[in-house]
Amino acid sequence: MNLKARLLFVALILGALPAAHAQLAWEKTELEFRPKLGEKEVVAQFRYENKGTKQVTFKNLKSTCGCTVASLKKNEVEPGEKGEITATFSIGGRTGLQHKAVMVETDDPAQPTLNLQLHVYIPEALSMQPSFVYWQTGEEPKPKTITIKAGEGVAISKLDVSSSIPDFTTKVKRGSKDGEFLVSVQPKNTAQALTATLTIKPDYPKTLYASARVTPPGSLGDFR
Amino acid sequence: MNASSHLQADGSTTPVWWVGLRYIVAIVVGAIFVYAGALKVADPVAFARDISNFHILPWPVGVRLAFYLPWLEIICGLTLLLRWFRSGATAILTALTAVFIGATIVARLRGIDVNCGCFGSASKDLTFGWHLAIDFTILGALILLWSLQRARAR
Amino acid sequence: MTRDLLRQTALLLVIALVPAIGQAVYYRDRVSWNAPAVEKDEVTIEQARAWGANVLWVDARPDDQFARQHVPNAVPLNEDRWDELLPRFLETWSPDRRVVVYCSSQSCAASHEVARRLREQAGLPAVFVLHGGWEAWLEGNK
Repeated sequence: MNLKARLLFVALILGALPAAHAQLAWEKTELEFRPKLGEKEVVAQFRYENKGTKQVTFKNLKSTCGCTVASLKKNEVEPGEKGEITATFSIGGRTGLQHKAVMVETDDPAQPTLNLQLHVYIPEALSMQPSFVYWQTGEEPKPKTITIKAGEGVAISKLDVSSSIPDFTTKVKRGSKDGEFLVSVQPKNTAQALTATLTIKPDYPKTLYASARVTPPGSLGDFR
Repeated sequence: MNASSHLQADGSTTPVWWVGLRYIVAIVVGAIFVYAGALKVADPVAFARDISNFHILPWPVGVRLAFYLPWLEIICGLTLLLRWFRSGATAILTALTAVFIGATIVARLRGIDVNCGCFGSASKDLTFGWHLAIDFTILGALILLWSLQRARAR
Repeated sequence: MTRDLLRQTALLLVIALVPAIGQAVYYRDRVSWNAPAVEKDEVTIEQARAWGANVLWVDARPDDQFARQHVPNAVPLNEDRWDELLPRFLETWSPDRRVVVYCSSQSCAASHEVARRLREQAGLPAVFVLHGGWEAWLEGNK
């Protein structure tokens, strides 16, 4: 068969192999964390080792979010040397499953950029849905409900709700599920604009704040 | 002629293992393209966005190609799988792969961070080096297949 | 190139057109054919400007970036201090305002996250994300 084509095929394969061989070997480029309630940050260590024959220099570390700060002890990695990139993710007011990435730039032509990924499952002690209820002036002052749910591993048996101004009345009822509470909010009337903060205190060391308002109507019209 | 060789139409013989290799390469390459094509058919809008990331084609062209190319890959891949050794399929797939490798290199040289999209979300984490390696291997396999088919046709 | 090869190639190119056109027809209303789609919840800087005083700008960037420079009258609301900043934002909001959230650069997901939480948790009706982010604002203001 065609000798030239065979040689070309083999040459292509061989040519591709060095390109595929990066100097730095990473233990894991994706890490998952399940922090406990109350933890304010997650510290992740991405470990690497220079398994190649040349020195590798980190040129840049960039994170996709200001909440994740990545740091290194030193930029140059000699062959055989091990090290780690530490990524500290500040949880802040975030909830649910969060994905953050750190983009690493090196001078290795086989691996010029690399994404280190962090997946964090942030536990929620209490969830509130919605956190804002509003009526327009002149609208019928029907009650609206805010549902409070206890998160996993959290038990609440009672809930106290108070409004910052007396024009809103609140009532608490138990929900159909365990640890679920329904807070009913109602303005006494919608004659004028009002703004209130509702303080929701369960028997748990966390207080929730919801907002309630009566707002003047706007000319909503068409959005596009 | 003995059991370990194959009689060709023109009277020459090829060893049986060589004929087997032809089948295996055709099936592997065919399967790769059917798989890659299917992943892109599943989300043509995402593929259109990947194409536009190369900044080589204008959007109206890229979005239409995003609907056409994956099916072309599937049809050609199927043709190879069905062991018809369609040299047409091989020619098309070779051209597609070569053009894609070229576009990837050009984009990279221009500093664009191209997230392949050739294997859909499965390829999101592949580094540039590995991408090129896989593409060159596929190109090599296609060229091999091409030459095998031409030898058979002679 | 043999005539056989050309025939096969042409045949395959044509056969592939059939499912391709079928799929394109199926997707015809879900794809923007002439220009890259701005995502559903995004608005361009021109659109936001056209809304004028009705826009309530929300800055989803970290506190220090907001402090340095921000869209005039923008309200800060980021995920780092969500619980603290949300009530202040809600006091400013009214149903006739269109909320446009921005953060820095296309790849930043914070504006989409903040927009999502405003829609889902606060139940606000008109929340959008600025296509192009803070950079688009700077560009438009040159």
